[in-house]
Amino acid sequence: MTSPTLTPRHIALRTAVAILGGYAFTWGVVALGIALLYTVGMEFHDAEHLSYIIGFLVFLTAFLVAFATQGLRRVALVLVGGGALMSAVAWWLQSLIIASGV
Amino acid sequence: MFPNFRHTMAWLHTWFGLALGLVLMVVFFFGSLSVFDREIDRWAIPDTRYEPQPMPSFDKMLAPIFKEMQPDAAARAMTAPLADGPLPAHFDTPRSWGAYTTHRDPVLLLFAGFEVPNAKDHETAIWANRTVDPRTGDALPVDRLKIGSEFFYPLHYSLTLDWKNVGYWIVGFSALMMLMALVTGVIMHRKIFRELFTFRPKKSTQRSMLDVHNLTGVVALPFHFFFAFTGLVIFAYIYFPVTHTQLTPLHDRHELVESKETGLPHDRAGVAAPLASVDAMVAEAQRRWAAKGMAGDVGYLNIQHVGDANSYVSVYRAGTDRVQLTGEGIHFKASTGELLREDPPPTVVARINEFLTGLHLQHFKHWLLRWLYVLGGLSGCACIATGLFFFVEKRKRQHAKQGVSGARVVDAMSVTVATGMLVATLCMLIANRLLPDVMPAGWPLRGAMEKYLFWGAWLVAGAHAFWRTAVVAEGRLAPAWREQCLAIAVLAVAAPLLNWITTGDHLLRTIGSGYWPVAGADLFMLAGAALAVLAARKLRQREARPLAVKNVTLEAGHA
Repeated sequence: MTSPTLTPRHIALRTAVAILGGYAFTWGVVALGIALLYTVGMEFHDAEHLSYIIGFLVFLTAFLVAFATQGLRRVALVLVGGGALMSAVAWWLQSLIIASGV
Repeated sequence: MFPNFRHTMAWLHTWFGLALGLVLMVVFFFGSLSVFDREIDRWAIPDTRYEPQPMPSFDKMLAPIFKEMQPDAAARAMTAPLADGPLPAHFDTPRSWGAYTTHRDPVLLLFAGFEVPNAKDHETAIWANRTVDPRTGDALPVDRLKIGSEFFYPLHYSLTLDWKNVGYWIVGFSALMMLMALVTGVIMHRKIFRELFTFRPKKSTQRSMLDVHNLTGVVALPFHFFFAFTGLVIFAYIYFPVTHTQLTPLHDRHELVESKETGLPHDRAGVAAPLASVDAMVAEAQRRWAAKGMAGDVGYLNIQHVGDANSYVSVYRAGTDRVQLTGEGIHFKASTGELLREDPPPTVVARINEFLTGLHLQHFKHWLLRWLYVLGGLSGCACIATGLFFFVEKRKRQHAKQGVSGARVVDAMSVTVATGMLVATLCMLIANRLLPDVMPAGWPLRGAMEKYLFWGAWLVAGAHAFWRTAVVAEGRLAPAWREQCLAIAVLAVAAPLLNWITTGDHLLRTIGSGYWPVAGADLFMLAGAALAVLAARKLRQREARPLAVKNVTLEAGHA
């Protein structure tokens, strides 16, 4: 089992991308899920639970994809960038809801 | 990572499985025991060996107890850093009183939350807990540890590492890796259906271990996936605290809207008010459940904003006849007993969520299913353990040749966890029967001593494992396995015997009177002893075999 990419450094990097990148991406999915579902009228805790259920499936997929994909840089970019983008949209949606008053 | 997809999946399965497999085995084993946590509590606290009781009268029995409850030293120590200046000597404003029981609990758990006047965050509460005998109202001595529900159960989900919730995070990541191992395991094996029927016990240890690994992994795959996944969902609020960080404003807004819609006050009014008869409210709630044709056992009783004009009483139905936990809450105005609200039927999403988490937490009444849970959990242990054996068997000869200690260390760790965990568990139960009723002055409390002896026994088992796996470095089977199996056999007979000697509850009596919580625990340990003897005999035969010479052909997939 030898491979040119299998240096300790590469393994550590890939593991970090899979775990931390996967976490960031999942955070984005959960945050956006809650904000979006709540905006379209779902009960708050329902939105929360549904987003969590989807979130863990997303995390599992992201983790596997982070190892299966060749280009590490691109994976990291998509996971972290995507997570940040979704979180930002969740933030924006939240500010709209709060601004609309109770 | 590798050009070949299946190769990458196999690498993940092997190395992350190895790294987290040990944690997962602990989680699966104590999860299996937690299925019968209340029954283990009865075994460990003989004073509570009586039938489960219904919720007692609040007005006559519980109200006076709640009024005298105050946080103990441990709760004060935990809350002290959250307050400015020293905590008050006496907490005067109860935020809520709660009473909780299940159809398997003879004892009743009471908890009172108090406002902390000088807290940095005004939502901080300090808690006082008490366990009482619902027949008399007498408190259980504080030094009694409910070994099942207060030790084995927390071990299952947090390894009892409470500092910064670090145990929850380790278990959570392990659960994610369990899901990963299941998916990658399926991808690695093309002939999954054939492996369902493949077991070759007479072949080499390595080959038969792989067969058991595949068999238990595939047969119980839906079970394992479901439990690892729902475990994550249950504690999702810890792993992704989105609504208590980034989306706090949204959460707070929802709470205000909700309190407006439900008519249940979110905050105190600041005006004192008396408490009407709670028993009458419970009777009314039961009448309403009965009118809907539902079983009417009260599982959870809660009084919010105690002593205030905004106070309300919530009565929840016990979850005995359905997968979901307590539910169908009915809420009353505490000062008058006037009905405020009846919870509407759950929404579709709530139903799905309650089904997922409820099936994991199993509060329902179904003894056969409970035993299937135990079998499923133990099959998870077997799957992980055989995976580790396979890892060692595959590498030990090669490592012996190269003079590397990798296989030996993994084998020692596997012994420490797989059999060492059983040794520790049994030692704790034996300590529970042998420690004096009240520890002498200067000693830790009885329950704390039991915990120390558990960890101490595990440490000794670990030391033994590292010592007696030395021959793995020569490519042989470690005697540590056989010796710890024998230790388990002796301990698992000693515990039921000591139960007999110290309480008089021997198996003829407990089975004769149909007292299954204790009879079941004793029988389970005796069955374990028999299996351990069997395992030890098999291991002796294997140890006696000459070193295998024939190389076994294995799937290329196994890295």
